[in-house]
Amino acid sequence: MTGALFAQLVVNGLATGMIYVLVASGLVLVLGIARVFNFAHGEFYMLGAFTAYFVVTLFKLNIILALILSLVLGAFLGAISYRSIFHYMRGDLLRCAAASIGIGLILKQSIVILWNPTSHSIVSEVFKRVIEIAGVTLSVGKLIVIFLGLLIMSGLYYLLMRTKTGKAMRAISLDSKTASLLGINTVKIYWLTMILGSGLAAVAGGIVAPLFVVSTNMGEGILLTVFMIMVVGGIESLPGTVIAGILIGLLGSFGYHFLTGFSELFMFCFVSIFLIFRPRGVFGSFVKEVY
Amino acid sequence: MLRKCISPNASIIKFIVLLIVAIVAVILPLLLQNPYYIQIIIMVVVNVMLAMGLVMLLSSGLVTLGCAAFWAVGAYASTILVMKVGLNFWYTLFLSGIIAGVIALGTGVVIVRLSKLAFTFVTIMIGTIVYLVVGRIEFFGGWGGIVGIPKPDPISLPFDVIVNFTARTSCYYLIIFLLLVNILVFYALYNSRIGRAWKAIKLNPQLAETLGINTNRYALAAYIIPAVFAGIAGSFYAHTFNVVEPDSFGFWKSIYIQVYAILGGVNFYILGPVIGSMFLTLLPEIFRVAHEIEPLITGCILLIVVIFLPGGLLSLPQYIHGSTGLEGKQNVFLRILRRKKR
Repeated sequence: MTGALFAQLVVNGLATGMIYVLVASGLVLVLGIARVFNFAHGEFYMLGAFTAYFVVTLFKLNIILALILSLVLGAFLGAISYRSIFHYMRGDLLRCAAASIGIGLILKQSIVILWNPTSHSIVSEVFKRVIEIAGVTLSVGKLIVIFLGLLIMSGLYYLLMRTKTGKAMRAISLDSKTASLLGINTVKIYWLTMILGSGLAAVAGGIVAPLFVVSTNMGEGILLTVFMIMVVGGIESLPGTVIAGILIGLLGSFGYHFLTGFSELFMFCFVSIFLIFRPRGVFGSFVKEVY
Repeated sequence: MLRKCISPNASIIKFIVLLIVAIVAVILPLLLQNPYYIQIIIMVVVNVMLAMGLVMLLSSGLVTLGCAAFWAVGAYASTILVMKVGLNFWYTLFLSGIIAGVIALGTGVVIVRLSKLAFTFVTIMIGTIVYLVVGRIEFFGGWGGIVGIPKPDPISLPFDVIVNFTARTSCYYLIIFLLLVNILVFYALYNSRIGRAWKAIKLNPQLAETLGINTNRYALAAYIIPAVFAGIAGSFYAHTFNVVEPDSFGFWKSIYIQVYAILGGVNFYILGPVIGSMFLTLLPEIFRVAHEIEPLITGCILLIVVIFLPGGLLSLPQYIHGSTGLEGKQNVFLRILRRKKR
């Protein structure tokens, strides 16, 4: 394997890993803080991608605007679904899961009915360009994805670690009852978390849209990978999820190059074996009894 | 709930209801001349068997989202054993159950030790691994699946009666028999020491452990027993519909099975899956809606039931009596409905 190929595989893996990290961290936030087992998360991601596709292809607008619009749409959907549905069943994970399955079915099928389920892709000049760094040809789109992913994740880090809202979120994830006693408006934070998580999923979809194909099945596919990442990362640990996401992205990239079709199977088996030796994820602990 | 509706000491009424259900189940194929309807009902019964397994695991406090995995294992094991090894269907029907049970044992030993949430995630992964294995490896037929699986072999009963399984009707009676066995076994288990131990574990695992209940072992039992029945149902499915393909055993199948269980009511161990599965499969058929709109209707029904009837469809009588177990400020709509009722 040459150095150039290695670098390309690493960049590809990091780009996919970043997308995984964005979607998975949204789900981890929603599960860890708002206590909603959201199966519609993949559909939010899919809707974000479709929004970006329509904004860029049909309305001929800028890709940055498309990303902002998909973020807004995802946040809006998260807010609506939390306030009208999940709010009334908070604390009951099974009911939340069932309701989110219903939401996911409705969202996905309305997209299938409104537009045909064939796959689309955005033709973007910037994303399709390649550049050469030190003799290695790299795709600009993938570098942009890595950059955007890092930007959003550092924003998330700032929000969680440096602001008062983030402090409240962390407090609730530790113990919501005590947090509520200490004067934190838990319902507001739950709502905010749901908005944040859904927004993250949708903006990840928007970032993916110019790079890969946009199809109605994409939500389901990424949901399974995200579950796997969460298992590796320790389910409720955000740093663990970030590391696991990048790890799985790199593993997928190298696996696809060497094993082609079997890479997915290989990955799932790898994770199973990993789980036998480290049943509590990368960083251990963190997993609390939720049901 | 049924007990509450019919008043506890009216065992005669209960007996009559059961008798009516049995008679309807027996004469149903004669009423429905169209084989398509019988096929739908067979599918409903298979779903009931799978959903009952999920509810059994749920009664011990664990949630599985990979129940389609053992169904797939049973279907593929039976198909391979009949088509490549050449065994008789009646042996493979039980062998596939045993194979599914052994795989459940192998995986279960590891995963019942995980936390409850991690257990759910790992069952999803097991489902995906089975789906990918049967799809990717050519020995299992690849993504196209295996077609032309032979029908169950004819059996000869006493008095020179030979039962052929070429018609849908005899397959229907076979699955009804399997369902009956399944219900009886599950009913016996729920009313035994094991069932009570599951309830104790669900209520409070730590307390159950102090009472001498080995929680891991009982959770393992709740994981393996449904897997055996799912394997048998899978074997039946493969030989009745004559085709197995990976897409019918995917992630959404497991999700749908969970939906059936939740829709019927997870606290009704046997009746819940039956009602949920029947409701969700028959309703789109009754309205004859297009295939595209079916998930939309399913989603809407699910949302409505989950929001307004937290205990599932079967908690409706309790709800009307005004004791849903919901505390104070639940839902605006719910409050409005309650007010109207008074």
